Amino acid sequence: MNTRYSDKRSLSVRILSIIGKVLILGVTSMFTAFPFVWMVLSMLKTKTEVMNPNSFFPAVPQWSNITKVLFDSNIPKYMWNSTWVSIVIVAIQIVTGAMLAYALVFLKFRTNKILFTIVMATYMLPVAATYIPSYIILANWNMLDSFRGIIISSTVSIFGIFLLRQGFMQIPKGLVEAARMDGATHWRALWEVVCPMTKSSFITFGLMNFISTYNNYMWPSLITKTKDVYLVSQGLRSEFLANTAVNIDWALVMASSAVVIVPLLVLFAFTQKWFINGIGGETGIKG
Amino acid sequence: MAEIILKSITKEYENGFQAVKGINLEIKDNEFVILVGPSGCGKSTTLRMIAGLEDISDGELFIDGEKVNDVAPQNRDIAMVFQNYALYPHMTVYQNIAYSLKIKKVPKDEIDKRVKEVAASLGLEDLLDRRPGQLSGGQKQRVAMGRAIIRKPKAFLMDEPLSNLDAKLRGQMRVEIADLYQRLNTTFIYVTHDQTEAMTLGTKIVVMKDGEIQQIDNPTNLFNYPENKFVAGFIGTPTMNFFDATIVEENGNLYLETQDGKITVTEAKETKLREGNWVGKKVVVGIRPEHVMLDDEAHCAFKGEVNVFELLGSNAIVYIDTAEGRIVMNTPHVKKHEHGEKIYLSVLEEKLHIFDPETERTITN
Repeated sequence: MNTRYSDKRSLSVRILSIIGKVLILGVTSMFTAFPFVWMVLSMLKTKTEVMNPNSFFPAVPQWSNITKVLFDSNIPKYMWNSTWVSIVIVAIQIVTGAMLAYALVFLKFRTNKILFTIVMATYMLPVAATYIPSYIILANWNMLDSFRGIIISSTVSIFGIFLLRQGFMQIPKGLVEAARMDGATHWRALWEVVCPMTKSSFITFGLMNFISTYNNYMWPSLITKTKDVYLVSQGLRSEFLANTAVNIDWALVMASSAVVIVPLLVLFAFTQKWFINGIGGETGIKG
Repeated sequence: MAEIILKSITKEYENGFQAVKGINLEIKDNEFVILVGPSGCGKSTTLRMIAGLEDISDGELFIDGEKVNDVAPQNRDIAMVFQNYALYPHMTVYQNIAYSLKIKKVPKDEIDKRVKEVAASLGLEDLLDRRPGQLSGGQKQRVAMGRAIIRKPKAFLMDEPLSNLDAKLRGQMRVEIADLYQRLNTTFIYVTHDQTEAMTLGTKIVVMKDGEIQQIDNPTNLFNYPENKFVAGFIGTPTMNFFDATIVEENGNLYLETQDGKITVTEAKETKLREGNWVGKKVVVGIRPEHVMLDDEAHCAFKGEVNVFELLGSNAIVYIDTAEGRIVMNTPHVKKHEHGEKIYLSVLEEKLHIFDPETERTITN
């Protein structure tokens, strides 16, 4: 009797816990996804419909909003700017980050620990505190209001160094030593032995920094004023929101926002598997 | 094919700990040198300094006459087999073996030919497409050797390459390494803490302790003529028995007096003991278990009680508690001795090793 009672009890507890989990996850997901869903729905609404709290779905989908964004605005140009600048920045960040992380993990030198502390200390620094010195440096180098300026001021990512270091630390040092004995330079050991074994860390690093660079608003808007060198967030603002607090066509803003994130979604779809691994610290090496 | 010379090589870590203390070692072409010693004796550190994986704090290292203290590992042209094999998990067996040639930019056809040759010589032909994760310990070991062999390096360094294998496989691989040495005819430096490996593989054995070399010799000499008590105790299984004795003189002859009896000192040893003024003094005496035998009460050197009897098939190991402490006997007589049985032991006098109790250096072997 007792066993049966406890069986029943444990069954009901299990059902309750499943319902609880589903509820919590469901509600959280709804909260997370709602702005996205709302954006997608709003981009197909008319200007007045967007501001009407009673209409959730568009009465008649306004596909013209998308064509307007794609063909009658500068948004595609800004997207292109953001995309290539982000690719270049991320590529440089991967090389610099991997080199520093390799040195921190695999090379023995006296100041190794101090160097890591300094690197981490700069991570603690509020970004805003670096704006003025960075601005002055770029001004001195004559690189304000240019792609070069945007790129050169983002060549090192502390977050990336940290992420790669954590990944590299999972690799037995013997492997790098074996590569060295096989005749590999540190450079080769990094790219031919360490990198393939920490692929997920690299992909996570690349993806996260691509997203943040692609969406970056504050810093590029401080150092650029010509529309030609605008990145997408800045472009979006200048296209539909700048110099006006009224009469904003929110449907177009939503359509632009939706179009703008398409490259990111595509990228995420391709790298999702690695992305999750990289965050979890899994490097694909077992035992 | 390389001659490697270590001159006063020292390794000191940042915290001041000296792992290797000014060792001198000359390794000739085609020698199979074994660095052996207990954990922490500095043998692996020495090997890693030769490889270039550890900086040399002091002293000079020469390979083929060229000083290489500051030469990067990839430029020393020596191959190394690691304890945990260190195979690249993302590459196939083929790619693992071929990697060093790929770095050297050897043409693809040549790489292919050489990989296949090496694979054939190590029985790896069917495994070339596999990744290390799909291999057994012994197979990984072979791949690691293949990776070293294919380069035809000046010297092979091996850091406890068999310690991750089970006993049977270890025996097998030991034979394969010996065979490889015969075939390749090049310099081998091999680190192990296993004295069986040391004795069976090496042409020259370097016994180390606490960062210092205790003795450099061939296996036979090391076994028969240890230079100090540590080497005597380290080489040989079961380990040598040690007991205290006093050198006494009776009727012009010298004897070793123990608590239970007397052991005659042979003429050769007598001369050495007299030369060193040891008569009347205490010494430490060593005797290998195989040189201890049963005797009768009147002639025995030790009386004791059997503690443990281990039958190994063709021989037996008997552990006997005596007034001098535990004495181990390795005997071909396999008749079982019961626990607590009283037995009387004597020793082969010419096989005694006598040590200075203070410095532990050998007085006579």
